[in-house]
Amino acid sequence: MSDKLHVKKHIKYLERHLALLPSKYQEHEPNKLAIICYALVGQACLGVDVPKKYEESKSWLETHYREFNLNGDLVSGFVSCPTMDLTAVPTINLPNTLFALYNMICLDNYEFLFEGIDRDSICRFVSKCQIPGRGTFVSCLDSMDNSIRSPTDSSDLRYCYIAVAILNLMGCQTTVQMRKYIDVDNLLEFIKSHCCMTGGFGQYGEAHAGYTSCALSILDIMGGDCWQILSPDFVSRTIEWLVMRQVSNQGCMKLMVNNENYDLADNGGFQGRENKFADTCYVFWCLNSLEILNRFTKLGTTYHIDALNYLLENTQNDVIGGFAKNDEDDPDPYHTCLGIAAISLINGNFNGPMFLPTTLLYKYRTHYVQ
Amino acid sequence: MLDFKYDFDDIIPLPISSDAEGELCQIMYDDDYKHLMGIARAMLESKELSERALHITNSVVEVVPAFYTIWNYRYNIVRFLYGENAEALDKELDWLDEFTLNNPKNYQIWSYRQAILQLHPKPSFKRELPILHSMIDDDTKNYHVWSYRRWCVLFFKDFTKELAFAGDFIRRDVYNNSAWCHRMFVLKNYHPSAQEIEAEITYAKEMIEKAPQNISPWNYLRGIHEVFLSGNYSPETVEFALSFVGDFFERKFSINHEGSLCEEAPVVESSFALELLATVYSKRREHLQKAKEAYHGLIAWYDPIRKNFWEYRLGLLEKDEGK
Repeated sequence: MSDKLHVKKHIKYLERHLALLPSKYQEHEPNKLAIICYALVGQACLGVDVPKKYEESKSWLETHYREFNLNGDLVSGFVSCPTMDLTAVPTINLPNTLFALYNMICLDNYEFLFEGIDRDSICRFVSKCQIPGRGTFVSCLDSMDNSIRSPTDSSDLRYCYIAVAILNLMGCQTTVQMRKYIDVDNLLEFIKSHCCMTGGFGQYGEAHAGYTSCALSILDIMGGDCWQILSPDFVSRTIEWLVMRQVSNQGCMKLMVNNENYDLADNGGFQGRENKFADTCYVFWCLNSLEILNRFTKLGTTYHIDALNYLLENTQNDVIGGFAKNDEDDPDPYHTCLGIAAISLINGNFNGPMFLPTTLLYKYRTHYVQ
Repeated sequence: MLDFKYDFDDIIPLPISSDAEGELCQIMYDDDYKHLMGIARAMLESKELSERALHITNSVVEVVPAFYTIWNYRYNIVRFLYGENAEALDKELDWLDEFTLNNPKNYQIWSYRQAILQLHPKPSFKRELPILHSMIDDDTKNYHVWSYRRWCVLFFKDFTKELAFAGDFIRRDVYNNSAWCHRMFVLKNYHPSAQEIEAEITYAKEMIEKAPQNISPWNYLRGIHEVFLSGNYSPETVEFALSFVGDFFERKFSINHEGSLCEEAPVVESSFALELLATVYSKRREHLQKAKEAYHGLIAWYDPIRKNFWEYRLGLLEKDEGK
């Protein structure tokens, strides 16, 4: 890690978000497992012995797990908050399930991951969330009738990514294994329909770095033949689209002074879309996408240097720790985790597609094989 | 927080507690929150579908806009109470407009809105236009709102207002990439005539004149050529791109053994023009040298942060040449 990274301050910053929070955090109640994940993954990247430090929280995290019978099928997943949950209306959803699994991996809670949960029924929950014919996923089931998907939920590439990441963590290492639960071909069609003319992936032709990272991570996780849905020409455009997201204050780029979303000080950072300001989280989403595609092209990684500088000089908070979205806002757990994860990715210590430090993922998978 | 129009006395609140052992991110709930959640959860637990339940969901989503279960609950209440009653569903959309204006960054609202429109017996695009306009007006690059607009355009199969709509936002900020993408989305969906395509090329060029170092209209120009003109660039378009690179291609560069250019940088107004020319020149063997010069120019002067990438491009070109 770089000397300029305020490791101790970041650890303190993340610690604080795991402690008692004031009532203004009430609005984030449904995303609590995400906040915990950002704080645990972030600290794990910074070298904290997370399992030891949060040993006491292991069993509390286990209380988020719910199993229920759905017309004879057992399905299971995790709720955002055990005290908010209801018996007649299960509130499990896909993001909370993935964040809970990440949290348990961070805490080395293998006993629960291998004995305490029913992996097959978690995969069945993923299966129930897939929309037949469209291939994409919603994140939860209907509150009145659990046998149908929620009609009010969005259904985009984020949920596709979350679904595939859950299946992978639950033991589906290949598409053959995934086919037991989901329609892989339909999902690939959905991904393909998000290819944009400019390169990158997005809705209705507008490429977006977040969706691009989701799409490429899915293909990376599923591997093999799945890459064939993308033409070599599209892959090459996507590489170009991604490298073009790095904001520069050199050459012709500085001629954009009349662009109200351009800031010379963003140099080295990545933006999520054309003509937007750079943002800490897009450094991660773009770098992850580029690392995935770099395996095909050997483009090199000189963009790392400027990206690292941007994170350390612009969005890292020197006083209270944490990373912010940009050089003006206050830090928050999401951007802090993504900033640290981006630096770990640059240092080769992070598995971007699975969003876990390499050592943690390796340990989990080794345990899996045994 | 609760309206006294409705009586909740018969509801036994389901308490929420937050002091479990080992709990992380423990939130210090305030009393109003505990009271509201206690009642809302009790009603959801008993699956009550009523006006007062609908009212409770108003309060809950105000406090916790990301609470996905409550949005779903609300939908079920609305469907049960109003069914396909157009007037009542319009009132629900009125409420949603108001909520949307106060919570512009929430993204649950858009999928909820889609569900309501799909329930509505007579959904109307016209009914959607004011909220769409004001949301985009307020945050001109909001991805969720633009996506919702495109969903509507396809849902209502009405493309008639879209070029003008995108044009308004491009006029306001020529760098608005969402507006440019919207324009391309429209073109790709309605099979324009040759004349209309020509008009779009002219439009893109006019906008480039205003701000040559703007990737969005260059992407648009490139997109039109690739989608509708099989990637063939007319001599006029090449001339147009050349007008932004000064005397770059008239200079005689000597490229040293390290591959860099030795002279002083000619004035170039747009790296995107140079890149477009590199792409066009790469396709013709007699112009390969020019394409290489363009990439060398990007590396040395006009876009050095992407040196690696331009070198990679140069490498591909040399590989092609070797064949």
